[in-house]
Amino acid sequence: MLAARLIPAFAAAFALVYAIAEQFNIALVTYHPRLGQWGWLTEAPRNGPGMYWYGWVGTAFFGALAIALLSLPLTRNRAPQWIGWGVPLATMAAFVYLLRAFFFR
Amino acid sequence: MVTFLLILHGLCAVALLGAVTHQTFAVWWPARKAGGMPSSFRAVHAARFTNGIILLFLVTFILGGVIYPPYRLAVRTYLETARLWTVNGSFELKEQFVAIGLGMLPFYWHVWRQPLDEALRGARRATCALLFFAVWFGFLTGHVVNNVRGIF
Repeated sequence: MLAARLIPAFAAAFALVYAIAEQFNIALVTYHPRLGQWGWLTEAPRNGPGMYWYGWVGTAFFGALAIALLSLPLTRNRAPQWIGWGVPLATMAAFVYLLRAFFFR
Repeated sequence: MVTFLLILHGLCAVALLGAVTHQTFAVWWPARKAGGMPSSFRAVHAARFTNGIILLFLVTFILGGVIYPPYRLAVRTYLETARLWTVNGSFELKEQFVAIGLGMLPFYWHVWRQPLDEALRGARRATCALLFFAVWFGFLTGHVVNNVRGIF
């Protein structure tokens, strides 16, 4: 069944690609809130802070979709289902570690 | 308008919180029959919450995205100026957790599809617990940030 092969890989890849996009600031779009302007990809801030979170989510969505489709030949019968929750869990734990500086100042 | 959307975001979050808590308790600590309030709380048909939780998560997520720019300009600037690093960091964690939760929604839908696949029982419990954690963390953090000037 296609869903059982595609969806766990998508969930796992989404978490991983999101973490990479956040760490290396690879955003599909940038929003400049003070100007109310959108820009493609990662842009330098213009007249105030730049917002990249929307772009990271976009990067994660399209990246995960591509990875899930490319992984189809590797999962001929059924993808390991645990990756659908195991990788997001590990990524959440990794974010706690990566953002620890906020809590230990 | 931002205040209206913020309240709407909060109300959707409360509904989501209730639904995901019911489902998580029902799946982790099922009650055989509804007696008093604690067992009635757990004696729900967990699978029936799935579509509602997905819809509420999406609506709450989108509303959060709409009201995010005013937060970035006014509230986060205040948090940095006031050196409220724990609150600031909690919000940073919240945005990462809910984004990962968003990516898990298709898998969540997949593991709860009817008829329930017994082989996916563990995945259902784990996915539920992760969403439960992300939603509760997001709600509590949002509540503190919303009231930060009154609290700190």
